[in-house]
Amino acid sequence: MAESAARSTRIPQPSSPAGWILVGLGAAGFAYLLYAPVLLLESFLRTLGGVFMFATLALAWNIIGGFAGYASFGNVVFFGLGGYTVATLMAKAGWTFWPALVVAGAVGVLFAVLMGLPILRLRGHYFAIATLSVAEGMREIVVNMPSLTGGGAGITIPAVGLEATTSYPGNTGFYYFFLILLLVALAVTWRVSRSRFGYSLRAIHQDEDSAAALGINTTRAKVAAFALSGLLTALTGAIYAFQQVTIYPNRLFSIEFTVLMVVMAVIGGTGTIFGPVVGAVGLQFLSEYLRQNYLELHTVLFGAIIILAVIFLPNGIVESARELRSTKRIRFLDNVKANRL
Amino acid sequence: MTRRFVILVCCALLLAGACKGSEGEEAGAQGSTLQFGAALSLTGQLSREGILTKDGYEYCKQVVNEEGGVEVGDKTYDLDITYQDDKSTPDVAAQLVDQMNDDNVKFILGPYGSSSTEAASAVVERNGQLMISSAGADDTIYEKGYQNTFGVLSPASEYLATIVKAVSDIAQPKPKTVAILSADDGFSKTAAEGGAAQAEEEGMEVVATEFFAEGSTDVSAQLTKVKPLNPDLILGSVHLEEGVAIIKQSEELGINPAGGFGETVAPPTPDFIETLGPAAEYTLGSSQWTPETEGEDELFGTAEDYAEGFEAAFGDTPEYHNAEATAACLAMILAIEDAGSLEPEAVRESLANLDTESFFGPIKFDENGKNIYKPMQVIQIQDGKPVTVWPSAEGELKWPAPPFDER
Amino acid sequence: MEQFLQATINGLLQGGLYALVGVGFSLVWGVIHVVNIAHGAFVILGAYVAWKLDGAFGIDPLLGLVVAAVLLFVIGYAVQRGVINLVINAPIWMTLLLTFGLELLLVNGLILIFTGDYRSIATSYASGGLSFGDVRIPYGRLLAFGLAVLLTGLLAMFMSRSKTGQAINATGMDRVTARLMGINARHIYALTFAISAALAGAAGTMVGIVGTFNPVDAGVFTLRSFVIAVLGGLGNMWGALAGGIVLGLVEAWSGQYLSGTLIHAIGFGVLILVLIVRPTGLLGRPYSEARAET
Repeated sequence: MAESAARSTRIPQPSSPAGWILVGLGAAGFAYLLYAPVLLLESFLRTLGGVFMFATLALAWNIIGGFAGYASFGNVVFFGLGGYTVATLMAKAGWTFWPALVVAGAVGVLFAVLMGLPILRLRGHYFAIATLSVAEGMREIVVNMPSLTGGGAGITIPAVGLEATTSYPGNTGFYYFFLILLLVALAVTWRVSRSRFGYSLRAIHQDEDSAAALGINTTRAKVAAFALSGLLTALTGAIYAFQQVTIYPNRLFSIEFTVLMVVMAVIGGTGTIFGPVVGAVGLQFLSEYLRQNYLELHTVLFGAIIILAVIFLPNGIVESARELRSTKRIRFLDNVKANRL
Repeated sequence: MTRRFVILVCCALLLAGACKGSEGEEAGAQGSTLQFGAALSLTGQLSREGILTKDGYEYCKQVVNEEGGVEVGDKTYDLDITYQDDKSTPDVAAQLVDQMNDDNVKFILGPYGSSSTEAASAVVERNGQLMISSAGADDTIYEKGYQNTFGVLSPASEYLATIVKAVSDIAQPKPKTVAILSADDGFSKTAAEGGAAQAEEEGMEVVATEFFAEGSTDVSAQLTKVKPLNPDLILGSVHLEEGVAIIKQSEELGINPAGGFGETVAPPTPDFIETLGPAAEYTLGSSQWTPETEGEDELFGTAEDYAEGFEAAFGDTPEYHNAEATAACLAMILAIEDAGSLEPEAVRESLANLDTESFFGPIKFDENGKNIYKPMQVIQIQDGKPVTVWPSAEGELKWPAPPFDER
Repeated sequence: MEQFLQATINGLLQGGLYALVGVGFSLVWGVIHVVNIAHGAFVILGAYVAWKLDGAFGIDPLLGLVVAAVLLFVIGYAVQRGVINLVINAPIWMTLLLTFGLELLLVNGLILIFTGDYRSIATSYASGGLSFGDVRIPYGRLLAFGLAVLLTGLLAMFMSRSKTGQAINATGMDRVTARLMGINARHIYALTFAISAALAGAAGTMVGIVGTFNPVDAGVFTLRSFVIAVLGGLGNMWGALAGGIVLGLVEAWSGQYLSGTLIHAIGFGVLILVLIVRPTGLLGRPYSEARAET
């Protein structure tokens, strides 16, 4: 895993004419994304914004799950906390969006550190279950603080009329918010993957005890990774909450978000830079396609696709495609051969 | 290799974006078809009610088209409704309504449930679409100052209050003390508050109000708390599963209030009777609609006609979810015909002024878009059937309810 | 005092049912190393089997329970042998995702087949109860409790006395060595998963008798199973029973003396606390600590 991740971190060096063309195409694509709101339908911008949102969430998960190998099954807790911080500050304290967003990020970091210190001592399934419980427990706490959070009835951010503290950015506005956040998340991931910090995380993933023996402060590295993941996730949740206007604890702390983050990162490729983005794009469009074409069957199909992906594409699309290039074929059964009983 | 993926991603976006763009341009033309849109919970937690709502819309479409379609000015249109699945999640419902706007669908029939309706109403307002809610009862939806959302159904605050009114009106002896058990979601809480206020107005004492998590199937702790207070009437502001649990566990725990039980939403659904058997007897429930509802209209006739027609079409007797959906669709059609125009703003005007009788009861909106003019019906389970006992009586109220072991 | 007694009895009886729900989950986690997110879906599937048999053929739910258990046993065996065994050594999130996909498939498949309507298995004996003054002990719940203790006891005996049980234990402790000793690990894993599914099926039948169910409830049972398994110690059968009862009591008491909406928060609070303070659970894990958690 570490080796493959290291390979993927190579900066694209346009060393050949083909390379230059690729970079050019990439730049054109980026320019297109910036210009897209002029060309595209409003609702499609909203769909794209959703894709960027999930890509960011998957990237954030990738830092703690993919790099450090700590399978957080409760990352949605940051998402919910970020969302509720913004909603509460804007609805109850009359704040505007931007300072509230900053506070939301800070809450994400703070909570990750406080929660990470005891919980990151757990490994494997225990860590997964502990994070999941924290997320579920936090939802219940939010439900039980109705004077602050509106409880199960939800909370509404004032977005129209005189009460609105920040004018509602609309679909185009949120498209840009999510796009910018995605670029930030990509930059952070790229930076992490090339830093000493990133190598520490991979060492922890490989063998935590040896990493500690090599002089890596594993606790600090793990908590830092968790905090970074929490920061990006909380910011995403904050923007999402503003976009939704009315938010509910059942939705903001929904286990579905966690699962999607993990599925997207895994299908795209954990521990890589672009894997989670590829996974998010692929899965979001796929599930949208299924939902539109199989009105009642789509969730069942989605379940089947997850099962098949886990069995046949466990290294992710990015890794499998790389393999395709070097060996000219994908060996779907390799995974089964390696991991079966 | 990584580069190739960046580009792949970009290309995918480009392609997807491009075809979506061209699709939108064609969808503007309406031809001789009038298009409504509905984002419904067809999968997930609310799929049961979502599908009932869909059937209600479908029946409306069927009848309208059989009767020659919708007359707008001097043109006649066939009615068509597109459905999308919101997976029982509010954000998807909102997104779908946005998509419909881009497909030039301006007339929206509401999703199922207050959360989804609330999310959709914000989008509708922004896009200048028009939505008639069939199942978003929570009063808070209508108190946000939105102009473009109307609800045909009686608001949540009436659900429990209606039962209190009925009991106070016709029950002898009149209960003196009431305990309220409520789920903790917005709709149930609003209904519980309305019920408590009404009870006090009628001179009853509310001895306890206990909450439990939405979706609970174990409410024994709340019942154990309430038992020593000996309330004459136990009221539940609940959904089906919690409503069933209250009755079932009261039986287990030997809780027999001197008067009986009353619950919102749960008792009129067939599952309530099927699941509880004899224990369900005597339970009072409030319903948006029963076949005894007074009023009639040209399309669907009386409530009884509606029930017959619906059964002929779908093979099931209609539940109130079906009826409220049909009523929402009916209101939209009446408003469009009154306006003689397909301009959302004109139709909005005529909706605001709509004042009509229907199989669903009176349809008329207050300044917030709530239909406060329609009374709710109170039913009682008698011999395994819901019988309307108030305001118009199909059968006599059986009161007080005997203890569970004597049923 | 009577209220306290009643709450305690409610919690105890409910806890017995929780134990039956969670014991199979704990077994699979402890032995096979798989956190089976689809466990709750198996519970619900069991409930539907008994419900259907009762409704369509008038088969008594207690007989239906046996049928549900057998059917789930077969399904469980096939799922482990045919699917999960294929990726058993992959990183943990793989099996988590795999069983999550299975859960989506089962739950939504059940909705398509049976609709999302709430169901309950009606019996003549479920609603009556014993009375001691104002304190009541409902028969249905007492039956569920008794059955839970009985099945857990049988399972514990099976695990410690029978040859197959010992083989399961041995595989749980150290698969490599167990295979060297001639144990067919593929079969043992599938068997363990099958037992777990069968227990879930039996639990589901009892859930249907004492309460209501619909496919969407599956997630709630899985979450409770987490708590029970961790509280009791993974793969520890008596531990699961203790964990279930502790959870039942904590929920009943907190519902009684605090707010009814807080019970889940407290349940998860207890779980996190146990994980941090004593990750081996109340009664400890039966397997060696040395085994690496990966």
